[in-house]
Formats: sequence, C-alpha cells, structure tokens
Amino acid sequence: MSAGHYTHDNFGKTVMRSQVAIALLLLLCLPLANFWFPSAYSIKAGIHGLSAISALAVGTYLTHRALPLVKGMQVQLQSLRRWVLAATLLNLAGAISGNWIYMRYRGQDGPRDWILERVPAIHNVLMEFKEFVSLFPFPLMLSATALLYYYGLPMQTRRDLCRFVGITILVSWSFLLLGFVVGLVLAKLRFV
Amino acid sequence: MQHPTESNSQALHSGPVVAASLALLLAFLTLMVSHHISRLSPGLDKLVHSYGYWIPGSQGKGPDGSIGSYTGKETLAIGVWLLSWLAFHLMWRKQDLDLAAWTRIFVISLVAITLGFFHPLSDPLVLFIAGFFGLP
Repeated sequence: MSAGHYTHDNFGKTVMRSQVAIALLLLLCLPLANFWFPSAYSIKAGIHGLSAISALAVGTYLTHRALPLVKGMQVQLQSLRRWVLAATLLNLAGAISGNWIYMRYRGQDGPRDWILERVPAIHNVLMEFKEFVSLFPFPLMLSATALLYYYGLPMQTRRDLCRFVGITILVSWSFLLLGFVVGLVLAKLRFV
Repeated sequence: MQHPTESNSQALHSGPVVAASLALLLAFLTLMVSHHISRLSPGLDKLVHSYGYWIPGSQGKGPDGSIGSYTGKETLAIGVWLLSWLAFHLMWRKQDLDLAAWTRIFVISLVAITLGFFHPLSDPLVLFIAGFFGLP
C-alpha cells in the first residue's frame, strides 16, 4: 500500500487549520509591532510589513496548490484561482506600500544614508537588488490569475497550460521570498 | 465539475500563455535596462525620472524623501508590460505555440534578468556596453 494516500478526517483538518491560524496570528505580531515603533513613519512601515507578510503567507500556501498543477493532477480550479487573485491583490498592496515606505528610505538622514555611510555594500548590492525583484511577484501572480480566468475550467484538459501556470506561481513565490528576506535584513539594520 | 467536451478542449490555445509571459520578461528587462541607464549619468537619471513624475511622492525632498527615478523605471516597465501583453495576445490568441520549449526559455531568461540586477555581476558588463556607446 502506498503511504502517499492519507485522507485527513475532520478533526485532523481542524487541528491543522488551527495551527496555521495561530502561527499566522503570531507572525503578524511582528509587523503589528511597527505601529508602536517610536518613529514618524510607523504607520507606513506597519502597513508594508502587514501586506508583505500576508502576501508571503498566501504565496507560500499557493506553492502547495501549484505543485499538483505542475504534476498534471486534477485540482479545484475555482478555489485555486480565487486564492491566486487574493495573492495578486496582496502583492499589489505590498508593492504600493513598499513604494510608500521607500520614500522615507531615501529621505534625508534615512536608512539609505545611514547604510551608505557604514555598510555601503548592503545598499549597493542587496537593496538595489531588492528594490526590483520585489516588484516581480505582482505581475507574475496577475499573469497567473488572468490565465486561470481566461481559460476557465476546460484548462484542466491541457496539461502544458496548467503546468506553466503552476511554474509561474512557484517563480512568483521565489521572488517574494528573496524580497522579503532582504527587507527583513534591512529593517533589522536600520528602521525607518 | 464540468466535463470538457472535445470541442472546447480543441479551442484552447497556448498562445495567450506565451503572450502573458513574454510580456512579463519584456517588463522586467525594461526595468533592468532603465535602471542601468539611470545610473550612468545625472542627465540620464533625470530623463528616466521624468517618466515617473505622475506618481505621487516621486519628487519630494527632506526627511519624507521621494521615490526618485525608481518611479520612471516602474512607469516604463508597466507601459511595456501592458502594451506588449495586449499586442502579443491579439497576435497569438488563436495559435498553439511550443510551450515545452518556451517554459525553458522563460525560466532561463528570468534567471538571467534577475542576475542583471545583481550589481557585482552586471556592473562590468553595463560599463563595457556603455563605453561602447561613448557614455560615461
């Protein structure tokens, strides 16, 4: 008998969902704390943190939905495309709030000046990289959403189309992770 | 669950997938090229910046800062992305293109463009190309 087929009962599902909900709530406490940071830019930072972590959480969940798509398995396309749409909107919020907080990053005596004075390589290599790859997840997710809605349910008959959309979701998540990690490094070095 | 019939499975074409993803590559490439151009001289930076003046906060000063020429790079990339997506989609929506080959090209190009934003790798190449055009 294959060990790969295990159907979770209702209790198992409740446990897992509770775990995810608790973990997510605790994780969201990290950006929530920004709202109390003694800085004139705490609201911008808090909103960017909340949208970035939410986008990362949904993007990570979606990698588990994308894998069956890549493997050519039958998936619940209606539910999947709603999740991908949600991820697109969260990534858009992350990009817009990122632009907003980026103003202060470049402002007078902002984090950029501080970093350039002390550890210039962090700005010149890491930040110049992050600024751009953080923009990638939104258009990638939007493209996946548009294709899932454009083809509709008959899409499952074409394995190659499903595979490509699955790969797009995985690629989007990898850029999300890159941008997120560099963002955390930056916030740890110098808050706005 | 709807059972697809023979006719609508034939109606699906891979063209729109190639259109959407090629437009993404062109957008990211625009972002990369405009970024490197803006770094060559203050004049070129101003030129790239001027495309982004419509974005709020693109020209602020002082502690609140501004997004600077990043706005111009974003504007150019969004323009190239949406216009090329529309054009390719209209061109290829009824065509079946080789998706197996395209998947490989797409992923490799995406990795190459990503590395183009990594300055220790891209700067020597950018300076070489800029020198070829007589730019500072």
